[in-house]
Amino acid sequence: MWNGPLNKIDDYRYEIPKSYKGIDGKLNMRVPGMIYALPEMLPLIRKDNAPEQTANVATLPGIVGRSLAMPDIHWGYGFPIGGVAATEYEEGVISPGGVGFDINCGVRLVRTNIKFEQINKSIIKELTDELFKNIPSGVGSEAKIKLNKPQLDEVLQMGARWAVEHGYGWEEDLEYLEENGCMEEADASAVSEKAKERGMSQVGSLGAGNHFLEIQKVEEIFDENAAKIYGIEKNQIVVMIHTGSRGCGHQICTDYLRVLEQAVKKYKIELPDRQLACAPLKSKEGEQYFKGMACAANFAWANRQMIVHWVRQSFEKIFKEDAENMGMKIVYDVCHNIAKIEEHEIDGKRMKVCVHRKGATRSFGPDSSEIPGKYRSIGQPVLIPGDMGSESYLLKGTKKAEEAFGSTCHGAGRVMSREEAKRRWRGSEIARMLEGKGIYAHPASMVVMAEESPDAYKDVSMVVNATHGAGLSLKVARMVPLGVVKG
Amino acid sequence: MYRIIEHTADIGIEACGKNIEEAFENAAKGMFSIITNNGKIERKIERKIEIAREGDDEMLLVDWLSELIYLHDVEKLVFGDFRVKINDKLVATAYGEKYDRAKHGYGVEIKGVAYHMLEIKRNKKGFVIRVLFDI
Repeated sequence: MWNGPLNKIDDYRYEIPKSYKGIDGKLNMRVPGMIYALPEMLPLIRKDNAPEQTANVATLPGIVGRSLAMPDIHWGYGFPIGGVAATEYEEGVISPGGVGFDINCGVRLVRTNIKFEQINKSIIKELTDELFKNIPSGVGSEAKIKLNKPQLDEVLQMGARWAVEHGYGWEEDLEYLEENGCMEEADASAVSEKAKERGMSQVGSLGAGNHFLEIQKVEEIFDENAAKIYGIEKNQIVVMIHTGSRGCGHQICTDYLRVLEQAVKKYKIELPDRQLACAPLKSKEGEQYFKGMACAANFAWANRQMIVHWVRQSFEKIFKEDAENMGMKIVYDVCHNIAKIEEHEIDGKRMKVCVHRKGATRSFGPDSSEIPGKYRSIGQPVLIPGDMGSESYLLKGTKKAEEAFGSTCHGAGRVMSREEAKRRWRGSEIARMLEGKGIYAHPASMVVMAEESPDAYKDVSMVVNATHGAGLSLKVARMVPLGVVKG
Repeated sequence: MYRIIEHTADIGIEACGKNIEEAFENAAKGMFSIITNNGKIERKIERKIEIAREGDDEMLLVDWLSELIYLHDVEKLVFGDFRVKINDKLVATAYGEKYDRAKHGYGVEIKGVAYHMLEIKRNKKGFVIRVLFDI
C-alpha cells in the first residue's frame, strides 16, 4: 500500500509533488511525478509500490518535464511498468530499467478483407491450429530456421528489412512499422556473443507468458473516419501479434544492466534503487547500451515480420486464396518497451531527449513526419492488446500526447499473480469459459490457460478510457478475440 | 531449501544455505523449479561453469543465475543439482538433462534476473538469498 501524495490536477491526472522525497537530500526528485488514471483506479494503483517507483524515476540525472505513469501502471523493476521518462540528450542518463528485459516487446495488427459472416467456428479452429503449428510458441520455443552469426548480425543491423529481403513479407510492410522496423543506431558489435547465440535460433518465434497471436473480429467502431483510413471496418477479421525480442533482447538487457551497474559508481550517480542503473547518454557505457538496445529492437521487428509471413501463409492455406487478394496488409506495428532519441516541446522549449517507454506506447498525432503519409491527417495507430478473454483496442495518436512526450498506455496489466491464478482456476475451466464466449484457444499448455485467465488482468477498457479522457490517445475501434494462440 | 515468492506480475525465490555456496545452489534449484513447473530433473549431463567475481556477492549471484538461463536457452538444458565453490571466483558443476516438456512440466519463461530487491543476508543458520525474476 502506497500512502504518498497524489494531488488531483483534473479527472485524469494526479501529481506527486516534487517535494515528496524532501528538498535537501541527495535523492530529491528533480521533477514532479504524474499518474494518469480514472479516480476509481486509484485504490488499485496505490495497492503496490508503483507510485513510489514513479517518484524514484524523478531522481534520475537529466530528467525533464515530469516522471510519468500511464493508467496501466504497475510495480516493475526500477521503473514501474507503464512508466515514461524523458532525459535531456546532452546531460541526461539512459537506463535499461526504463526499457525492460523484453526490448521492443510490441504489437502488430494485420487487416483482412474477410468478414465475420464468411467464417464459422470450425474455420476459426482450423485456422488457430494452423497458426499454432506454423509459428513456434511456448517456453524455449525455437524458430523454424536457424541463422548463422553473420546472418544474425544482419538482422540486428537491418531489422524488419532483413526479413522482407529474405522473402518474409512485402516491401510495403516496412512503411507501416514504427521506425520502419529499424533503428539505425544499431551496432551489432555492441551485442555479446551470448546474446547472438540466443538470437540465432529464435528469430520467428512467439515465446511464452503474455505473448500471443489472436484472430480477432472488429466488434465496434468509435471513429468512422480514422477506421476507414486505417482500413478497418465493423465485423472485419484482423490478426494481432504480441511478442518481442526473445532471448536475444533478454541477454542484451542482462549484459548491460551489469555494465551500467558499474557505471553508476564510475560516474558517481546516486540512485534510490539498484535496478535504476544508468549511465550518461554521452558516456561510452550509455552509447554502447543504446546501440545494443537498438539491435534488440531490430531483432524484435524482424521477429514480428517473420511471424506475419507465416500468418499470411496460414490464411492462404485455409482459405485457398492469395494473401494479397485477402487484403492482408499491416495496419501498424508499435513497440512498448523502448528508449528513443526524439524531439519534444518541454516547458515551451523544443528539446532533444531520450524518451524511455516501459510498458507505454508512442502516440504521435497528426502531421508527425515519423508516421506513414497515409495516416498523417489523423495520427498514428496505437495498438492496445487486452487479455485473451476480453478485447483489444485500436486507438489514434494525438497532439495532446505531446504533454507525455508523445506517449500513451500499453495494455491491461495483471492484478493477480500467476500462482494465485493457478490456485484459483484449472486451465480446462478457462478453456470452457472461453468456448462459451465463442473463443477458441490453443495454448502451449493448460497451465498457461489458467495463468493467463482474463480475470487475472485489469480491465483494459478502463485503461483505454482513461487515456481517451486525458486525450493521450483516442478510441478508433474495439476488437474481440475469436481464436487465440498462447505461448 | 528454497521457497517461491510471488508478486502480481513477477516471481522470485527465497533460498537458504548453511554457507553461501549452498544458498547459491538452492537459488539455482528454485529457479529451475519455476522454469519446469517442478518436474524431476535427472543427472544425465553436466556443465562446468566458471564466473569471475567483478563486484559484490549480489552481482555474482545475478551472473550465476544469468549464466544458467543462458545455458537453458541456448542448449535447451534444465538442471536439478549443483555443486558451487566460491573464492575469488565462482566454480560450479551443474547436473541436468535436455528439457522435455512432457517430462519436466511447463513452467514460466524467465527473461532475466532482477537487481530489484535483491538481497543476500547472513543469519545464525547461514545465508538467505532473495531474488526476483522478470517473466
